[in-house]
Amino acid sequence: MESIFSLKVTPLWIILILATAVSWEFGHGFGFGSHHNYATVAVVLIAFIKVRFVFLDFMELRAAPLPLRLAFESWAVLVGGTIIGLYWPGS
Amino acid sequence: MAASTDAPPGARTHLPGEPGVWVFILGDMLMFAAFFVVFVYYRRQDVPLFVHSQSTLNQHFGAINTLLMLTSSWFVALAIHSARAHVAKLCSRFFVLAFLCGLGFVVIKFFEYREKIHAGIMLTTNDFYMYYYMFTGLHLMHVLIGMGVLTYLTSIARGGDFQAKNLNVLESGASFWHMVDILWIVLFALLYLMK
Amino acid sequence: MNTRSQLLCAWSGFVFTVVFTIGFWLVANFVPPPSPNASAADIAAIYQQNTWQIRLGMFLMMGCSGLISPFIAAISLQMKRMEGSPSILTYTQLSSGSIGVVFLILPSLIWTAAAFRPERSADLILLLNDLGWIVLLMPFTSFVVQNFAIGFAILSDKSVAPVFPRWVGFFTLWVAILFVPGGLLTFFKKGPFAWDGLFAFWIPLVIFLTWYLVMFVFLRKGIIEQARAA
Repeated sequence: MESIFSLKVTPLWIILILATAVSWEFGHGFGFGSHHNYATVAVVLIAFIKVRFVFLDFMELRAAPLPLRLAFESWAVLVGGTIIGLYWPGS
Repeated sequence: MAASTDAPPGARTHLPGEPGVWVFILGDMLMFAAFFVVFVYYRRQDVPLFVHSQSTLNQHFGAINTLLMLTSSWFVALAIHSARAHVAKLCSRFFVLAFLCGLGFVVIKFFEYREKIHAGIMLTTNDFYMYYYMFTGLHLMHVLIGMGVLTYLTSIARGGDFQAKNLNVLESGASFWHMVDILWIVLFALLYLMK
Repeated sequence: MNTRSQLLCAWSGFVFTVVFTIGFWLVANFVPPPSPNASAADIAAIYQQNTWQIRLGMFLMMGCSGLISPFIAAISLQMKRMEGSPSILTYTQLSSGSIGVVFLILPSLIWTAAAFRPERSADLILLLNDLGWIVLLMPFTSFVVQNFAIGFAILSDKSVAPVFPRWVGFFTLWVAILFVPGGLLTFFKKGPFAWDGLFAFWIPLVIFLTWYLVMFVFLRKGIIEQARAA
């Protein structure tokens, strides 16, 4: 039992919850003053960092064959990058 | 890839689940990638409308659902580790907990939709709400499918047979559920938080 | 021998995709679709200016849609090999697939009616145009059931040398999910979920044709392997 909870996935879960709390604050105007567009970029970045760690440690892609891992990592980079790119100059 | 399925994650390479399931997962993630990009693209055309409509969303429902999704994913990861340790009781219990988080997600979505509909906000109210209902609705369909999968995994776990073949099935289903979690993480950021 | 007729049935699915694409796309020029937001006069003008193309294109679409039946029968035979007996998924596929044929033939007849008297009032042409697009793109129900039946049959195949590779099963299930957004076109006149949009038209169209080709390739393979094993 204890050995199960001492696995890496548990600290990761706590970090993911904290990251959600932080992006919640950013999404409500905390920390960036009136620069809401910086806050949004931070929110999107945090989301995709969360996504990446769910890929790597919950989905266990860290140890998966490289092509599969690369496919998911590029998904995160491309989709996250496109979202920020489309968002940025428009607001 | 040939490494046996019940090798610990420390083994050099290990493909979780069967190869075919990744076709489905990647395919679904491509569909949602298209959703996300389309959303941000159209948002650009009318930022004030999107920002204003977003302010009428109930942020708390979205946040609680994010916590539920992350937690259920964590339970599923723990279930897989228990399966590798051949602890049937713990394994099935974690799957049940993950299922309950999924159920909580569905219940909260129900109340969220109800609140919106009572306020007269429908699919056709404006572009923001069109995306909101369509994306969260299709995601909800995935949650429901995933809960069906989790039920199936629970029955396997209860059987207590953690041979390579069954572990493979458990990992396939678990990977699907993690995908459902991932899609929600992005939807939450785009629909609820993006200003 | 049986193999030859089975192969013929598989090829008929291939011929269907080719002729359907020619009729619908190249001849009738229905790709991209007219906007559901367009005025009655604009829609009527399409049928008045392309009367002949639409008539001929619809004739081709209607004419080739019957070829789906032998294709579905060939899928059923191979599914029977996956399932063994009793073959409930096979029957589900056979019946839901047959219903699906109806929804591919009907729109071509409805658009034919519109092109039959293009001089009639624009509002009536608008109505027929709406009806045709809705009948073609909205009814996902039997397609989803058919794909689920095929997908589950492929995944339940426990033999040492499965009839279809398992990824084709997962691909088929994924295709089923992609048909669902089309069912919601009823709510939208513009945007990606309208019948001329990315999620109700473009993705389902491309995926539908791709899925047919994938099924054709592996059906052919399965039939040939069955003959070799016999």
